[in-house]
Parts: sequence; C-alpha cells; structure tokens
Amino acid sequence: MRNLLRASRFTLGSVTCAALLTAIPALGQAPASNRPDLTGIWQALNTANWDLQTHAAEPGPDPAIGAMGAVPPGPGVVEGGEIPYLPAAAATRNQNFKNRWSADPEIKCYMPGVPRATYMPYPFQIVQGSDTILISYEFADAVRLVNMKNAGSAPADSWMGWSAGHWDGNTLVVDVTSQNDQTWFDRAGDFHSDALHVVERYTPLDANILMYEATIEDPKVFSRPWKISMPLYRHVEKNAQLMEFKCIPFSEDVLYGNSGKEAAR
Amino acid sequence: MTKIAFAIICIGAAAAPVWAHHSFAAEFDANKPIKLHGVVTKMEWINPHSWIHIDVKGDDGKVVNWAIECGSPNTMFRRGLNKDSLPVGTEINVDGYLAKDGENKANGRDVTLSDGRKLFLGSSNPDADK
Amino acid sequence: MTYRWFSITLAGAAILGALPAFAQTEKAWTAPRTPDGHPDLQGIWTNKTITPLERPKDLGTKAFFTPEEAKAYTQTTLERNNKDNRGGGVRDVLNAYNAFWWDSGTKVLRNMRTSIITDPPDGRIPPLTPHRQAQLQEQAEAVKVRCQRPGCAITNGGQPGPADKAEDLDLMTRCISFGTVVPMLPSAYNNDYQIVQAPGVVAIDTEMVHEVRRIPTDGSPHLPSNVREWIGDPRGHWDGDTLVVDSTNFTGQTRVRGADENLHLIERFTRVGPDTLLYQFTVDDPTAFTKPWSGEIPMGKTDGLLYEYACHEGNIGMKDIIAAAQADEKKAAGQPAGK
Repeated sequence: MRNLLRASRFTLGSVTCAALLTAIPALGQAPASNRPDLTGIWQALNTANWDLQTHAAEPGPDPAIGAMGAVPPGPGVVEGGEIPYLPAAAATRNQNFKNRWSADPEIKCYMPGVPRATYMPYPFQIVQGSDTILISYEFADAVRLVNMKNAGSAPADSWMGWSAGHWDGNTLVVDVTSQNDQTWFDRAGDFHSDALHVVERYTPLDANILMYEATIEDPKVFSRPWKISMPLYRHVEKNAQLMEFKCIPFSEDVLYGNSGKEAAR
Repeated sequence: MTKIAFAIICIGAAAAPVWAHHSFAAEFDANKPIKLHGVVTKMEWINPHSWIHIDVKGDDGKVVNWAIECGSPNTMFRRGLNKDSLPVGTEINVDGYLAKDGENKANGRDVTLSDGRKLFLGSSNPDADK
Repeated sequence: MTYRWFSITLAGAAILGALPAFAQTEKAWTAPRTPDGHPDLQGIWTNKTITPLERPKDLGTKAFFTPEEAKAYTQTTLERNNKDNRGGGVRDVLNAYNAFWWDSGTKVLRNMRTSIITDPPDGRIPPLTPHRQAQLQEQAEAVKVRCQRPGCAITNGGQPGPADKAEDLDLMTRCISFGTVVPMLPSAYNNDYQIVQAPGVVAIDTEMVHEVRRIPTDGSPHLPSNVREWIGDPRGHWDGDTLVVDSTNFTGQTRVRGADENLHLIERFTRVGPDTLLYQFTVDDPTAFTKPWSGEIPMGKTDGLLYEYACHEGNIGMKDIIAAAQADEKKAAGQPAGK
C-alpha cells in the first residue's frame, strides 16, 4: 500500500512536470539553442536536374556513348504535375528544349541559380553559422550566403541571387530574389525571367533527411506560383566531403573554340 | 628628415606593388588611344568587368553603339552605389584604348561626366581601412 | 615526409606561435565563443594593405617602420599608385581605369612591418631550387617557341604568350582562380573574405572568385595523394585559441609564386581583437623553394557584405582576347581581319 502511494506521488509529480514542460513552447518561439542545426553534406536523389516534370527515358546528345549518355526516366517533383507556363513562355520553353544540348547554361559551367543548385546530382554543404548560413555547392564552386540578420536589398542581379533567411519553428525559410534571367531550372529547357522570386523551406524530417520545398513565382513567365518538393539526404559515410569541381576547363572548348566571336553566350 | 625615412620614401617609390590588368594588354591596343563622347544606353553590372554601352554620334551624323569596359561592380557596391547609379541617357566622355579585334569596344581608362568630374568620384566607402 | 612536416610545424609554431607585439596590447581581450566552445572567427575580413608581400631589397633586415617612416611611405605609395595619373603606352592600358575602381588599401599593415613576409629575415621569398628554376625556365622557353608566330598577345607586363586558346592563358584571365586564396594575399580590389563557422567545419569564402575553402575540424584525414585540387585540400584543428589549417594535395598549377605540386601550406587564424583577425601562413615546398617562407597579415573586420563575383559567366574579355589573336593571325597571313 505504501509503495503504491509512493508510486502515485511520483506519477503525479512527473505528470505535473510533463505538463509544465509541454506548456513552455506555447509561451513563445523556440529558443535558438533548440533550432535544428542543418550543418552537413546533403544531396537530392532524383532526376529533377534532367527534367522537373515526369519524363520517360530518351536518347542523349551523343550516340557514341550509347546508354551511358541517355536521359534517364523519372517522376516529376512539381506539385500538381505541370509547370504553368503562360502561352508565349511555353513556346520559348519548347524552343529551349529543342536546343538543350547547346543552350543549357550547365554546359558552360555557369552557376546554376536557385533552386537548381539544390537538386543537381552533386553534394552541397550547409555551414550554419551565427548570422549567416553558407551553402557551398560542388558544381562550379557555386556558393550562397544566406543572411539571417538584415539582408537589405541586392545592389544588382546575380547568378545565385540574394538570400534572406529566417526560422519558422523548425523550418529554415529562405527568400531568394534578384536572380538574373540566364539560368535554367533543368536540362529540359525550363526557364524564368529576372522577375523570378523563390521561397525555399528546409524542414528536418529526422536527423538525416530534410524536406525541401521551393515555391516559384515569375509573373512574366508563369500564370501562377508553383511548387516543387523533394527529400534531401545527409551524407552519413565517414569522412564525407565535397571535392573540387571547377568545371571551367571542361567548358572552354565549347565557349571559345577556335574563334571567340562565333561562340554563343 | 632622417636618412632612413628618406630611404623609405625613395624605396616606396620604386617598390610599391603595381596592380595591373595584364589581360588588358591582350585585349586593347596601346597604339590606338581613342576619345568618345556618348549617351548611356545600357549598363551591365557584371564581373570581371562591368560594361557601359553608349550611343556615339559620328561626324556623319550616324549613331554607333560602343561598349566600354570598366571595373568590378563589387567595388562600386561597396562604395554605396547600385544598378540605378548610372541612368540611361547620361552623357559621358571616354578616354581609352581601342579593342584589338576591330569591334566598337574600348576600355574606359578615364571616364568623365559632362562637367568634367570623374565618374562616380565622391561616393563614400563604408569598407574603409580600419 | 611526416617527420619533415612535424619539424616544419614546430619551426612554424616557434616563428608564428608567439603573438606579435602589436597584438600583445590587445591580448587581454578574449574572443567570444561559438556554442561549441571555440573562438568565434566569423565575419567579413579584409586583407587590403599597401604593404608589399616582399620587403624592398634596400631595406635589408629592417623589419618595421617607425610611425614617421610609415607615414612617408604611405604618402609616396599612394601618390605613385594613383591610377588617375596618366602615362601612355602599354603601362597605361594595364592601369585599366580610374582610381575609383581600385580598392587595394590605403594603409600599411597594423603590425607596422615593412613586408607581409616575416621569415626569412630579409622579408623576401627565398630563392627557388635549381630544379624548380630549370622547370620554370623550360616552360617559359616552350611558350616563346609557341609564340613565334602571329596571334601572340602580351599577357603579363610584356611577357609574350599565345592567346588563341583559353588553356594557354593564365588562371586569372580564365577566371579559374586569382592569387588571393592560398595563401590569402591581397590584390587590386574585392579583398574580402567571409568566415562561417559550425561544429566540425569552418568555411572561408574568398570573394574573388567565389571560392570556398571547406575546412573540416573533425580530425578527418587528407584526400589520398593521387587526388590534386587547384586550391588544395585543407584540414583544420584548434591549437588553443588558434585555428590551424593544413593544406596539401595541390595541382602545382595555381602559381603560388613558383610553388609546385608539393606545396604544403600551414595557416593560423587568431582573433586578437574585436576588429582584428591575425592571419599567419607558412609556405613549405622543399622541391620549389630553398627554404620555407612565412608571412602575417592582421586582417580588419569590415561592415560591408561579400558580393557575388561571377567571373567566368561574364568573361567577355576572354572572347575578345581570343578574337584579337585570331585577327592578328589573319592579318599576318594577308587575310582581312573580318568578322
């Protein structure tokens, strides 16, 4: 009987404690020390870089390497399935698709912009500092500095845009503006104008998976905002690291060839 | 003035590092200086060099568009300027060197406004040496 | 190799370990800590200065300016380097544009040294080994031979080189890397570096050309020796309040003042004041230099931001250089330099 009473007191105490602990978050935003640390090496595991929309397999640009160079099939990452192009823009997209093996800026080792940098088939590293989150992408040594304090406005357009971040509970929200109009979303010719506005959300599902969502808005090209989403997986192998992928030397023949004037920009 | 101080001045004159755009000698012709007067039609705020495009009216009355190569826009941004700092329609004078490839291009060795002031001179530098 | 590394590190520590005099006065100040207990090195730092890398020969072993000397030196240097002074010829072309566009510093180093280099005692890069001298000589001869035809262009203060292929031009013109990353040496402008720190990694973003050194501080080993990288493979560890970064696996093509693929760069970062990050480095490359050399730059905090320097994407000049080389070739062959 005494043991039972003692046990009841303990249970009562812990119930009270638990009630108090769960009540604390309701008092305000989770303190900084409770925020997730996204530091680590991450990579998408899909074919979004080939084509954001669902696509079947098809031949690649070089028959000499056969199946190695083929376009793989893949489910799309666009919510609702289709990218809502305005009619004139849809025609441009089709033209891009026809010219994709020469017109894709990826061929020239140009920085890929946001969100393409996230789902290129190479790892990237998030370094979560105090006022700044640095994201280093293996491809073309591209980098982004996400300003978590006071980004102000961009003085001019850039390839990787101007990133202002804040926390929404456990989600890192990044608002990306001032990207130039030179990048594509994928190898299928999906494109945008310089009015592009991207809002990203990085939400941990567990210690090793982030759920990545990006809302894309560009009134010059699309009839409404649209959204992509995909998991990002942490590289958990020992001594994981990004390696140097300075691709400029691989692009110089294409860009400059034998006469700089003939090369397309 | 002490001997050492004097030596310092002389050596300073001889040994100071000269930062030079060596690639410019491959791009522009030192034997072809050129002076242009024109009206800004477009600015490209890009690296490694920004470009100012100007319409130049020739003696024959024909208007020809020239591209003038200038410095890194990042230096400008740090001095408080941005993409709106050189409006289309501004008259500028360019004193530079002609491009070797025969195109209507020159480097903006010395760029001044109509009143003789050097372009962008006078803007503050918040990134001043500490 | 391990033994040599160890002895170099000791020597380097002896030279670099003691904080320099100027930092002693600030030594009482303690750096704020990151949540994992290490000194916070974060921020945007600049290494711009008018102090040269190498001490002028005539100054011999005079390692420090007096305040009066520094003032005189500053005045002369700024007057001489003022890009708004016009001359003529190639030199004027190389000076490129008005003073407004340049931002290479207006002051001597805070440590009052007469050079960035602190060792050897003459403040100058030690001689190259005969082996390395011969290698570079051979390369220069090969370039001259390739350039015995039209289409060559002046690439560096009069040194001829072929210009009709991108791979013949220097890394800076190709936008692959400027000489500002390893070690962190100042140049004409955009002399800014952002450090971002998290448990297990320190990242240094060099503005030109958006090159990020991702430095693990988790004890992981270097890449295998068959893998070479343009800016090397860095590994960091904390030595008290100093971050020590050890970089190896260089390609040898990054042209660190004559260094080859055996370059071993040791750097030390110590926050010595609210606005000062002491940067020290040692270049150890026994096949290229007759002895190691070390330098020091007290970097200053800047309130500005780092801006994107997308060089390759806007490299119109490169097309122009190659087109100019083509025009030269055509002219020499008696063809019109047409479009």
